[in-house]
Amino acid sequence: MDELIYTLKQQIIEALNLEDMKPEDIDDNASLFGEGLGLDSIDALELIVMMEKNYGIKLKDPTQGKEIFKSVAVMADFIAKNRTK
Amino acid sequence: MMRHSVIITPDHVIVDGNPLMHNEKGSVLLTELYRNNIGDYPKFFKMDTLSKLGFIASELLLNAEGNRSFEPREDRAVILFNRHASLQADTAYQATIQDPDNFFPSPAAFVYTLPNIVTGEIAIRNKYFGETSFIVIDDYDEKIIMENLKNAFQDPMTTSIIGGWVDCSDEEHFEAKIFLIEKEN
Repeated sequence: MDELIYTLKQQIIEALNLEDMKPEDIDDNASLFGEGLGLDSIDALELIVMMEKNYGIKLKDPTQGKEIFKSVAVMADFIAKNRTK
Repeated sequence: MMRHSVIITPDHVIVDGNPLMHNEKGSVLLTELYRNNIGDYPKFFKMDTLSKLGFIASELLLNAEGNRSFEPREDRAVILFNRHASLQADTAYQATIQDPDNFFPSPAAFVYTLPNIVTGEIAIRNKYFGETSFIVIDDYDEKIIMENLKNAFQDPMTTSIIGGWVDCSDEEHFEAKIFLIEKEN
C-alpha cells in the first residue's frame, strides 16, 4: 500500500501540475480539497480521468468522488480494491 | 493616455521601454518571470501558454503601475487581441482525444480552449469587474486595437484599460504587447 500511495502522489502532482511539490510534501491523510492541497473542481475531474487512465477505474457516479478524494490514503485504498489494471 | 507598457517575446522582456534582465528563453522564460516577479499564485502552473503569457504581462504591467491593492473595482477593463486564438490549448486538448485507444479528454486542458480565458484570469487575479473582451484579428494592427479601446471608453464606468496583443501559436512562439491606458478627460 505504501508503494501505491507514493506512486499516487507522484501521479497527482503530475496530473494537476502541482509545481514545486514533492510526494513527501503530501500528507497521506490530509484533505485533498478545501484546506488541504486546495484543489478545485477541475482538479477533481482531472483525478477522475487519471484514475480511469492509470487504474482502469470508471466512476459511474461522479458524486462518489467526494468520498474517494478525501485523502491520498482513502484514494489509494479505493484504487487497491477496484483497479482493473 | 498610455501609462505603462510591457512587451514579452520568447527572448525579450521590456517594461516601460526598459529591458528586464532574464536568463531563460521560450516557455521557460515565462516560468522564470513568474518566479522572479510574482511567485504567490500557483494557479499559474495550471494555465495554458496564452494565459501564462497574458498573466505574466499583466503582472509586470501592474507592478510597474504600483500601489496594487487587489480591491474589487469596476472601472478597469481588460481588452486583448490576437491572431491564433487558443490554438496551443486546442492542440494540447486534441492530443488527449486523438487516439481512440488512449482517449482520456483532459478537463484541465479543455478549460483553456477559448482565448478569452486569459482576460478572465487577469480579471479574477485583480478582482476587476469591468468589461473583459478578447478579439481575434488577422494580424497585429495598432489602428484596429486603438479604435476598439477608444470605443470601450464610451462606457462611462470604464476609466482605464489593460489592452493590447497577447498571441501564442505554441509553447515556444508567443508575443505580448500590452499597455495600461487611462481615459482622457
